[in-house]
Amino acid sequence: MTTATGCVAPFPTREAGMTVKSNTVNTVLGPVPAAELGVVAVHEALLAVLPGAQYAHDIEMDRAVIFRAIADKLRAFKAAGGGAVVDAGGMFAGRDVPLLEALSRATGVHIVASAGQMEEGMLGGYFLTPQTNPPTPWPAEKFAALYAAEVTEGMVVPRVERRGSAGLIATAITADGMTPTDESQLRGCARAAKQTGVALTFRAGSDPVAELAVALDEGLAADRIAVVNAGDKAGEVAGKGAYVVFTDVAAGVAFAQAGGADNTLVATGGAALAFGYDEGEMPETSYDALVSAVPAELAPRLLTANPAALLAVKEA
Amino acid sequence: MTTINTVLGPIAPEELGFVAIHEHIGYGMPGSELDTTWWKTPEQRYEETVPKLRKFHENTLSYGGATFVDATGICNGRDVNYYQSLSEKTGVHIVASTGFVGGDTALPFFERASVDYLTAQFIHEITVGIGNTGGKAGIIKVGVSRGFKMKELDLRIYRAAARAALETGVPIFTHLAVDAEPAVEIFAEEGLPLDRVLFGHADDGVSQGKVRDRWIAEQGGRIGFDTFGYDLELPDPPFWGRPRQERLEHFLGYLRDGLVDSVLASADANCSPLGWPGVKGHTVNYLFETLFPALRENGVDEATIHRIFVELPADFLTMQPHSTQTRAAATA
Repeated sequence: MTTATGCVAPFPTREAGMTVKSNTVNTVLGPVPAAELGVVAVHEALLAVLPGAQYAHDIEMDRAVIFRAIADKLRAFKAAGGGAVVDAGGMFAGRDVPLLEALSRATGVHIVASAGQMEEGMLGGYFLTPQTNPPTPWPAEKFAALYAAEVTEGMVVPRVERRGSAGLIATAITADGMTPTDESQLRGCARAAKQTGVALTFRAGSDPVAELAVALDEGLAADRIAVVNAGDKAGEVAGKGAYVVFTDVAAGVAFAQAGGADNTLVATGGAALAFGYDEGEMPETSYDALVSAVPAELAPRLLTANPAALLAVKEA
Repeated sequence: MTTINTVLGPIAPEELGFVAIHEHIGYGMPGSELDTTWWKTPEQRYEETVPKLRKFHENTLSYGGATFVDATGICNGRDVNYYQSLSEKTGVHIVASTGFVGGDTALPFFERASVDYLTAQFIHEITVGIGNTGGKAGIIKVGVSRGFKMKELDLRIYRAAARAALETGVPIFTHLAVDAEPAVEIFAEEGLPLDRVLFGHADDGVSQGKVRDRWIAEQGGRIGFDTFGYDLELPDPPFWGRPRQERLEHFLGYLRDGLVDSVLASADANCSPLGWPGVKGHTVNYLFETLFPALRENGVDEATIHRIFVELPADFLTMQPHSTQTRAAATA
């Protein structure tokens, strides 16, 4: 790749993104008007790899097989009326930007990829025990800079290049409760979201309301946040103005029917293809099932309007 | 047949020549690959690395061979294809590691793994190969997580390493020699002779006062003076640095006390670091440029240098499967 001056760039980077234009969504193939997404699977994982599983001696990751398996799911989704899938697994659990680009091109389904990483237990030692004395885990501002650059400069293909722009920032809170590092990371994600205009999503831990308060405390507007698995706190989370992502689609539908439709999003809770996870942790999923699970009268809101509003990059 | 696994295939111990027993082509904490701060182009990486290896090769000519043991574990940027190309083009034998630098460098998949799984992983990398490279590991890396205290995951990795070492015959080297009692206990329980274990970084600055190196040597373990060159006299020394003279005296103490066979030495330098700035000017060639003149000044003869850098590491690296006799002895 060459720069405008014709020199070989130290690293290839994507062309300047359109991250500040409102009503566009950052897909892996570039900005797309939010209205063009259509039916959206808004919080999914395409290829999910438990960090480290890529080095396992007994896990074969055949790129061609992986491509075909995911492409089949995307085509089935498209055949069922689907238009876009959001990969909300973050940048350290199997995200492969060139693969996602090729999948989008081949299937015609828009793919939005995410920056961010999951809860503390999913982080590498670089963030938890850095080569400093003492080994203090990363503070919020470092996470913020790392993740914002994924939107403004491009998503990393580790040690090779940056490509495309992240379309959202995704993280998670430890299931047993928010650790100090989870909090630093959540604050960093919220700052990066605020700075770049993309949305923040996080899988809740033990106290979704308190965790949402941390993100709000960073000055990010509630309608730029989606909380996954808020459980019985869904009403309170929606009451603050955030979106609630239900991986139990029936529960999401019930919540929407009870008056929460403007804040309801649904997801399958699994991955198209997963490697290394424990049994039941990352079930194999089909996106077309989402389309049939949402009643026709709710579908335009839950599967199209709400996702478009969340994913449209907010003007800075 | 006595052999050592290099990244380009097995070789006879007689071909090893001079051995730098604990080095890194490039080390980075897991996750550092996401941070462009540290990225280098392939051109830069080769430019930084090849001249150091060529110099190392040149420095070792009189020893009949050059062997660089890479101590970069799984998840730390270990890159066997790259090592293969470097070895092929420079003539330096490179021995790659299986195992982990410490529990805190094992990613979640391995953090969840059982002793049996970790053992199978290590054995596979030693006998079948690392990933799809065909290159086999010649040594197992284990280590103590930050905090100078063995964590449960560290212990699990040590036990798996002991079993894989018994099965395959490769040796083990450790990151840090602190909190060695649980390690010694595990190796005894598994029936692994302690001369198959190099307790590394016994000489680093932060371990002093916490490392019982003479006790480890008494138990039969090998002591790694393998951070030579991380001197506090450097303009920007790392936190594990130590006054040059103090480290040298520590090492000379072993030689004066007739414990030469208990030690191995190296520089732990990165040719081209992956996830940290590295220490400017510090290379494996410190051994020839600074350490050997200092040893000679202190009356250490060539035979002793030859013993520490040629004979002892050859004995250590040569694959010696113990499973049958030692397991029988351990259960007797």
